[in-house]
Amino acid sequence: MSGWLPRSAAGRRWLGLAPSYFVIGIFMLVPMVIMGVFSFLEPNPYGGVKPVGSVAAYVKLFFEYDLEDKLIFNSGYINIIFRSFQLSAGATLMCLLFGFPVAYYITLQPENRRNFYIYLITIPFWTNLLIRTFAWIIILGRGGVIETPLLAAGIIEESLRMMYTDGAIAIGLTYSYLPLMVLPIYASLEKLDFRLLEAASDLYASRFEVMTKVVIPLCKPGIIAGCILVFIPCLGAFIAPNLLGGGKKLMLGSLVQFQFASARNWPFGAALSMLLLSAVVIMLIFYARAASRRAAMEGESRS
Amino acid sequence: MTAAIDIRGVTKIYNPGSNQPVKALDSVSLSINDNEFFTLLGPSGCGKTTLLRLIAGFEQVSGGEIMLFDDEIENLESNQRPVNTVFQHYALFPHMSVASNVAFGLERLKKPRSEIDETVARVLALVKMTEFGDRRPSQLSGGQQQRVALARALAPSPKVLLLDEPLSALDLKLRQAMREELKQLQKETGITFVFVTHDQDEALAMSDRIAVMSNGEVQQIGGPTDIYEHPVNRFVADFIGDTNFMDGEIVDIQDDLVTCRIGANSLYKAQNSGGHSVGDRVTLFLRPEKITLSAAGQANGADSRPGKVTNIVYLGNQAAYTVDMGDGIELTAQARPREDGKLPFTIDESIAVGFSARALRVLAK
Repeated sequence: MSGWLPRSAAGRRWLGLAPSYFVIGIFMLVPMVIMGVFSFLEPNPYGGVKPVGSVAAYVKLFFEYDLEDKLIFNSGYINIIFRSFQLSAGATLMCLLFGFPVAYYITLQPENRRNFYIYLITIPFWTNLLIRTFAWIIILGRGGVIETPLLAAGIIEESLRMMYTDGAIAIGLTYSYLPLMVLPIYASLEKLDFRLLEAASDLYASRFEVMTKVVIPLCKPGIIAGCILVFIPCLGAFIAPNLLGGGKKLMLGSLVQFQFASARNWPFGAALSMLLLSAVVIMLIFYARAASRRAAMEGESRS
Repeated sequence: MTAAIDIRGVTKIYNPGSNQPVKALDSVSLSINDNEFFTLLGPSGCGKTTLLRLIAGFEQVSGGEIMLFDDEIENLESNQRPVNTVFQHYALFPHMSVASNVAFGLERLKKPRSEIDETVARVLALVKMTEFGDRRPSQLSGGQQQRVALARALAPSPKVLLLDEPLSALDLKLRQAMREELKQLQKETGITFVFVTHDQDEALAMSDRIAVMSNGEVQQIGGPTDIYEHPVNRFVADFIGDTNFMDGEIVDIQDDLVTCRIGANSLYKAQNSGGHSVGDRVTLFLRPEKITLSAAGQANGADSRPGKVTNIVYLGNQAAYTVDMGDGIELTAQARPREDGKLPFTIDESIAVGFSARALRVLAK
């Protein structure tokens, strides 16, 4: 063994992981620290920040100054945050409703065909998200693919006004992140022992009960992972809200993007990002706890 | 008497209409009595598991009828058939405790909670797993999982219990112990057991009756001694136990004995199973344990022939000897080691091979 390697197993392990630590440190931790620091500085009206400490950005999340320069409660941003959570939850639910049957269907296919279907699921990732979202404007918009034939057939009298609504945003989000729901659910369904389905049916379970009592509980890890993978990027999404919501229905992601791009208020954008980050971290902690509890329950020592 | 299960001309074809249809069962008919330990025995691919899955309802018949106590069931979903299955690899629900696994069927049948608890306790006691109710299947050994699988299938009091090679995943000692227990359990519960196995010892040890299957057809149905002593064809004789076969031609028939010419010029007398005539090409079969080996010159009786040991396989409690009888005939026989542990004969030793004409039987070609 080469002499320069650390002697202890722990030391060698650390050395092996060093490249990953390095990459994560440079590309994740450092930017996050910068954001954290920026959120406690004052904005520079020409972009960037002034190196003056301030909590103004965090105050602005909940309060605004009235004409007499007194702080009053402002629910505007909280509403945006609330709506972001609502829309993200809605999109996650839709992804689950559409994604689960797709994943289940793929699992039932012969093995050689499954990879092909999975490949089809990932194809949308090959095209820019912006372009794919624009396509939805053509589908949903006035005189678009949905409306035109309905109008021509006389089924509807006037435009459905589908664009620039919460619904349009939710559709856009669902479309964007559906593969992220399908893949982890497929991964856990693929490991499912289908003899258990026969066993359940043999023990008088209806098709519905086979689903609810056996299939869904056993692929819960995949469902939870899929929900997290969809919900988190939905919260920070800004392309779908901007294009399909018309920028009128702001979501957290578009608000952050607006602060950095147009409003030139970097500290406020950074503070919003920190808020988003803490929400995500809190959710992940709950997930990790639940997962470790389950692992502890199932992995008790054999006797 | 009403049959527990009556299989009437059941055919199963996989991939019908495709360019590679596979006929797994070819017009199989058999009747399983109530309160019987019935075994489907055969090599892998013989259709025994397919037949079990058709009874359970995991597959649909391509033709024929399956009657369960006079009710036609072949068109029912598996969750509507009052039969339960013990699966080869147990198929216990990993996310549920042992007790929840056992309660699963009763809950689906919407039994009252008190009755469920009572039954779960009773069947867990029956399989001696009472203290494991709170465990997860992953915390149990293979043998324990096997017992839970049994308890789970017995809990809903099925009219027939189907067992799909349930012992094949256990090691030898455990497998032998479980044989006794299964047989005992069948007697205690009075439930009809349909047991699928490829292990002839298992089948002989446990069954009331055995159906030997091959190539999607039933070859013979009968009690263990019937099947072993009076196989109807070469396949059955070969599959059950070790057997010596001799191909030859009948040259003489006298009452209950036939004389056959084997090889160029060896004459063997065998028991007449009826329906043969002089000139028929037949196969004689002789179980190794019916042959007595003794040292040359010590043989007694006219049924003894000379032979020469060509191979010995030591098995511990006995040794299997291959003996060259001349004229291209080889017989396998058994002999116990002597009290000092030494084997009685050595390779190339000339010995006397004794067997009675009653032990030699004729199989139709």
